[in-house]
Amino acid sequence: MTTTVEVLGFARGPDWLPWAVQYFFLIGVSCAAFFVSLPGLAWRRPAWRALSRYALLAALVSGLTAPVALMADLHQPGRFLNFYLHPNFGSWMAWGSFFIPLYVGGLLLYAWLCLRPALARLADDGGRLAPLYRQLAYGGHDSPGAIRLAALACGLGAVLLLLYTGMETMIVSARALWHTPVLPLVFAASAGVGGLGMTQLVAALAGRRELAPLLNRWLVRCLGASLVLIAVWFVLAASGSASHSAEALAALAGSRVWAMTGLWFLATTLFSLWLSAARPQALWAPALLALHGAWLLRWIVFIGGQGIPKMGSTWYAYSLGIGADGLLGIVGSLGLALFLYVALTAFVPWDARNEMGENHGI
Amino acid sequence: MSDLPDRSRRAFLSALPTLTVGLAAPARAADTPSRQPRWGMLVDTRRCIACQACTMACAMENATPEGAFRTVVATYAVSDADGSTGLSVVPRLCNHCAQPPCVDVCPVGATFKHGDGSVLVDGERCVGCAYCVQACPYDARFINHATGKADKCTFCHHRLEAGLLPACVETCVGGARIFGNLDAPDSEISRRLKAAGTSLRVLKPDAGTAPNVFYIGLDDALTGHVAGVSAADLMWRPDHHGG
Repeated sequence: MTTTVEVLGFARGPDWLPWAVQYFFLIGVSCAAFFVSLPGLAWRRPAWRALSRYALLAALVSGLTAPVALMADLHQPGRFLNFYLHPNFGSWMAWGSFFIPLYVGGLLLYAWLCLRPALARLADDGGRLAPLYRQLAYGGHDSPGAIRLAALACGLGAVLLLLYTGMETMIVSARALWHTPVLPLVFAASAGVGGLGMTQLVAALAGRRELAPLLNRWLVRCLGASLVLIAVWFVLAASGSASHSAEALAALAGSRVWAMTGLWFLATTLFSLWLSAARPQALWAPALLALHGAWLLRWIVFIGGQGIPKMGSTWYAYSLGIGADGLLGIVGSLGLALFLYVALTAFVPWDARNEMGENHGI
Repeated sequence: MSDLPDRSRRAFLSALPTLTVGLAAPARAADTPSRQPRWGMLVDTRRCIACQACTMACAMENATPEGAFRTVVATYAVSDADGSTGLSVVPRLCNHCAQPPCVDVCPVGATFKHGDGSVLVDGERCVGCAYCVQACPYDARFINHATGKADKCTFCHHRLEAGLLPACVETCVGGARIFGNLDAPDSEISRRLKAAGTSLRVLKPDAGTAPNVFYIGLDDALTGHVAGVSAADLMWRPDHHGG
């Protein structure tokens, strides 16, 4: 038997930084939260009405933060216009640069149409900002048809975003952990977990515990789908049916840090599933666990996936720096999300219980 | 009165469109390829002594930032079943593939295949998204943090244009790197490739990239991801051994 020792090797650090993890996490969360907003706001289902408002808030907060994180991940952010001046339509990333404005623009239009009646009520209440609210309300009409049309455009953008983020990663055959057809599905299911988690968090911050059972019911479904898909990947990898996945599994098993991280992810996901199923009234813990799971999956895929050597024998070591390319980037993007949450909740009412016209718009 | 000046002017004016069209039109495709070389490299690992002179020459020629290399010589200690151990080397660089996955994924078309076969990056267009870095199966690309752009071996394109060899080839002590025109049957590289026959190897042949960097004397176990341990992991460290 031949044994090989790499005497002199050369490592490459990850070039998709924690900013990329933040982007894939936030955009997935936003798309899923947008879908959660549809039953109450576009289809006017009474049981979903209050919940859908918080889902829209979650979609806005994460959907407006995500493109900033993506820009920060570019090493030449000032050249982002090149995506539109010189697009290479053979690349999924090039398509993504068109899907992002479609989704974010659609989301802003959808949110504005949903918010118009509430803005008109604010204008009627008077105060210093009343003229501004009146301008923004633009008549304050509740337009279900227009809302559905905007939802259609935004939904198309959301589906395309989920498709491109998954495909963009999946097609990279050079990365053993990424190159599996299961990945886009895992990302989509996990985005569902994150979107529900973010909606739960917003509802928890508003003290709306009565919304927990409905959210937990859907969270169980998304967590179950994520676990089934991960199990499919594991079976394909362990059986050797998918060579890239087998290589990635062997690499993960050979790294104590990443093996422990993977086991932690599985354990917390299983606990999250149990908690949402057994304690349907719980709101805070399932919310935080869901967000943790959706984020950690992307951390493992992107940071862990770039650590698996393409040619050499040992993992490319990664340590999280405290600068803009590391911890500060993570905290900074979450800080932007927090700022948007504060700004949106300070100037726009999201709690339908305080409003007279709960059945009209939002 | 002579009408010669008039005829001359008429002739000039009628010829003008032909002249301007001729200047504006690109050179005929049939003319270019016959004169254009198709560059490739052959690495004879039996001649490589892992001195890293190529690594240093490249770093100095191309001013790569500290810790980032366009070419390296990975070194392995390979022990066989009867316990004898030998040193094996894998000089690595961009393979300037005929089917380069980095070109397909580039969202702005900054990475392109030059007519001479080399894969280059248009630094004016690159947005530094690092998608090409992910797509390269050989870890041959990196983001140059001094420029914020994708960086890689260019076969020293600027030297080729001046009629010089790539820096790594010129500096190689053992003459392990042979560079030349793959389309010229009488070039040294073509003759050596033909002579190598079945002993010729490329890195990751299953990746379907059709590399233009070839190897002689390379163990099959070293053509792809090398299954083994790293000396870095074998070294004593306080966190590994409780010291």
